Amino acid sequence: MRGRRAISGWLVVLVALHACVLFAGFFAPYDPTEQDRGRPYLPPMRLHFLDNRGHFHARPFAYALKLAEGSFDQYEEDTRRALPLKFMVRGANYRLLGLLPSRLHLFGAENERIYLLGSDAYGRDQLSRFLYGGRVSLFAGLLGAGVTVLLGLCVGAAAGYYGGWRDDLLMRLAELFLALPWLYLLFALRAFLPLAVGPLEAFFLIVAVLGAVGWARPARLVRGVVLSAKERDFVRAARGFGATDGYLLRRHILPATSSVLLTQAAILVPQFILAEMTLSFLGLGVPEPVPSWGNLLSSLQQYSVLVSYWWMYLPALIMLPFFLGYLGLGSELQERAEPYKIER
Amino acid sequence: MTAESHETSEPLVRVENLVKHYSKRKLVGSVEEVRALDGVSFSIFRGTTLAIVGESGSGKSTLAFCLACFEKPTSGNLWFEETSLSGLKEKDRRVIRRQIQLIFQDPANSFNPRWSVLEILTEPLVLQGNLSRDEMHPRAQALLEQVGLSSHLGEKLPSELSGGQRQRLGIARALGLRPKLLILDEALSALDCSVQAQIANLLMELQASLGMTYLFISHDLAMAAHLADEIAVMSRGQIVEQGAPEEILTHPENRITRELLAAVPRLDLSRPPLAES
Amino acid sequence: MRYLLRRSAHAAFLLLGVSLLAFAFTVLAPGSYFDEMRLNPQIAPETIVALRSRYELDRPLPVRYVHWVISLAHGDMGFSFAYNTPVAPLLLVRARNTLLLTVTVMLLAWGIALPLGIWSADHLGRLPDRLLSWGTAALLVIPDLVLALGLLVIAVKMGRLPTGGMVSLNFENLSFLGKTRDLLLHMALPVAALVLSVLPLLVRHVRAAVAEVLLAPFLLAAEGHGIPRRTLLYRYALPAAANPLVALFGFSIGTLLSGSLLIEVVMSWPGLGPFLLEAILARDIYVVIGGVLLSTLFLVGGNFLADLLLYWADPRIRTETGA
Repeated sequence: MRGRRAISGWLVVLVALHACVLFAGFFAPYDPTEQDRGRPYLPPMRLHFLDNRGHFHARPFAYALKLAEGSFDQYEEDTRRALPLKFMVRGANYRLLGLLPSRLHLFGAENERIYLLGSDAYGRDQLSRFLYGGRVSLFAGLLGAGVTVLLGLCVGAAAGYYGGWRDDLLMRLAELFLALPWLYLLFALRAFLPLAVGPLEAFFLIVAVLGAVGWARPARLVRGVVLSAKERDFVRAARGFGATDGYLLRRHILPATSSVLLTQAAILVPQFILAEMTLSFLGLGVPEPVPSWGNLLSSLQQYSVLVSYWWMYLPALIMLPFFLGYLGLGSELQERAEPYKIER
Repeated sequence: MTAESHETSEPLVRVENLVKHYSKRKLVGSVEEVRALDGVSFSIFRGTTLAIVGESGSGKSTLAFCLACFEKPTSGNLWFEETSLSGLKEKDRRVIRRQIQLIFQDPANSFNPRWSVLEILTEPLVLQGNLSRDEMHPRAQALLEQVGLSSHLGEKLPSELSGGQRQRLGIARALGLRPKLLILDEALSALDCSVQAQIANLLMELQASLGMTYLFISHDLAMAAHLADEIAVMSRGQIVEQGAPEEILTHPENRITRELLAAVPRLDLSRPPLAES
Repeated sequence: MRYLLRRSAHAAFLLLGVSLLAFAFTVLAPGSYFDEMRLNPQIAPETIVALRSRYELDRPLPVRYVHWVISLAHGDMGFSFAYNTPVAPLLLVRARNTLLLTVTVMLLAWGIALPLGIWSADHLGRLPDRLLSWGTAALLVIPDLVLALGLLVIAVKMGRLPTGGMVSLNFENLSFLGKTRDLLLHMALPVAALVLSVLPLLVRHVRAAVAEVLLAPFLLAAEGHGIPRRTLLYRYALPAAANPLVALFGFSIGTLLSGSLLIEVVMSWPGLGPFLLEAILARDIYVVIGGVLLSTLFLVGGNFLADLLLYWADPRIRTETGA
């Protein structure tokens, strides 16, 4: 690892996407929990450059929405009220990265709220909820993957290095965990943990449960690497120089597992994001009003929402680039590790 | 180094009736025993070279691993300078180990591929722990010079070195601990002929200047005769013939020795063709 | 035979492991759960006393485990607090529905994946293969949940397919044909969602496994002998690639069971998924444990089936002796 490898394009994309979520306060126009009870299920506003008389405006604008004649939930554009998009505006208070208090937002509109992804049942801005929700989902995924990989490293290294009955026991256990359908396992674990918890507890609960479920695959891979590394001559040589077990693990054996661990992490993160989404979608994860990608979609479980307010599905589509990024990164890392293997 | 001087000086290494069995456990039922070493005895005297020659699978490498304390023998005794290696505690074993260094066959496999030459060279020094950081660098440079490597190579990775350079690096690393015994386990086998000769010369120079003792393990009888003061031929875990190189080359007694001799491509010694036996 | 014995031992080990895990859960459960139950006015105090004695809280653990396994074998999977009846009959109905869904998906997905993957491997690196790889990669990117919801949104917009439940309200009055049609229509969406979610994984693995085999010298030789391409692919290459594919089969059962858990909830299919979710929310612990055990049973059964298949497909395994 002497910086000779080019930085992956996927990594750049992922960092950019995560920055949007990390600085959600700045990129989101509103507070994700701020309600506007008078405007539930507002459809997404379209951005225009041409007004209805065909004049061009360099500054994009949206038309305010009004209830369609004779309807109680169908909106139409009110062409008399244009809402020009303003950049770098002052708005709701937030703390950048949870530290710096600020009121600066990337964009917004004067007089009236602008809903680029529509609003939910309480008139909350879906775009803001998506960006803030990503914090919970992405970081549950990242942290969960981190915990899992670390756990896998410890178990795999112990099994591979010490061998014998420890190896047998740990690997049988790993086989068991690998064979079980993970969602059932997740359910079973979740069933024993308290249901009504605060958002922060729920977050850490999810991370812990994910770590407990996923450790088996990285553990097995790490074990394989450790087994082959400890038979290498340079490890023997170091032993001949009087090295202790701790030294050998720290300096020679564990560094050899780094590429396996990185690949595993890249594969696990999207799986765990999805797991968090699934739990929150089913009401077993992070509770309202804190947004997460899972509970953002859970309103679609109601048939009426599904029929009338299709745009509640939009956040699901905006998530896809995140998953694409991780998939790309994962397969690229895998290819670097085994360049001649036929890709699966 | 003549045969007479052996009798007067103390042997550095004494091996008595060494036995090493591996048990291969089958998935179902029976345990299969493999006798890698089956009662081996010899001595190596200070400043001399003993060559162990044999075909692959004859137990040469197991012998090397037992001597270097990587494997525990099943039975038999090993003495290193009057210290018996059999009943040693792990901590004392670590101290002894430093005095017996092993040079491996595959130089590509014997260095951590992510480490630079300097890191590789200083590793034993760091582990020994009696040099300060400032002293290590000059010591590493001196070691490079000692084995005829340029000091510019310090920042290179082992994968960027040639086969001969790598083997020199391996020797330099082992010398860092000022060992008394160097075990060369097929150390020349992976190299080209001309490079083999260079490394062999280096080994002889080091022996002359530092008074090193070698255990040279090889399947190449010609190279063994070139380097060693005494040759032991091994087959199926036992020493089948032992003697001075000239003796072995001219009057091979054992069938195995004759087969090994026949495998030597060109031997510029005047000897009757093998067919006559 | 040795192979089958070994695989049976493996299946037994899995069941034992899961039952131990599940038992650990039940051991954790009673203490607090009976206490919670006391506060529930719907459950009679006698019931609680009966349950306490039945779960033998005062006996040593190994004894309790053995008794628990014996009662399991008699079909006693514990007691549903929410329904106030034994768990087993409740679970079995749901499990049947889940099985109907997953078996259909399994047949469909493999039926599509095998020819598609083999065809792709045959055209390795050429345009059709690359297009297919892009397609499967695209499907791989879309998470199950997003895919299922998307299908649902589309189905609702089109208004042609039923979007929930297993049968229509008037199911009982339909003729046999009508019943079948109704059931198939209700299955369409969940089956589509599940097939699409497991398909990319299967196609990619089949492709890689067959492509690897196609490079083997014995197949090149067979090709040189002028054996027709089709025979070569299906009679030579596919059996040779059977080993990794059978492992994949076992893995795909696990994935599918997880996937169906979620998709049943989204599409309100009355299988184990919604039932388990409801049980978790109601803290109905024996239902959860029973569900997990049943799913493991499916998994082990499916894996064993795959092993039988491999035994049939791979002569090396049939003649295997010892080691």
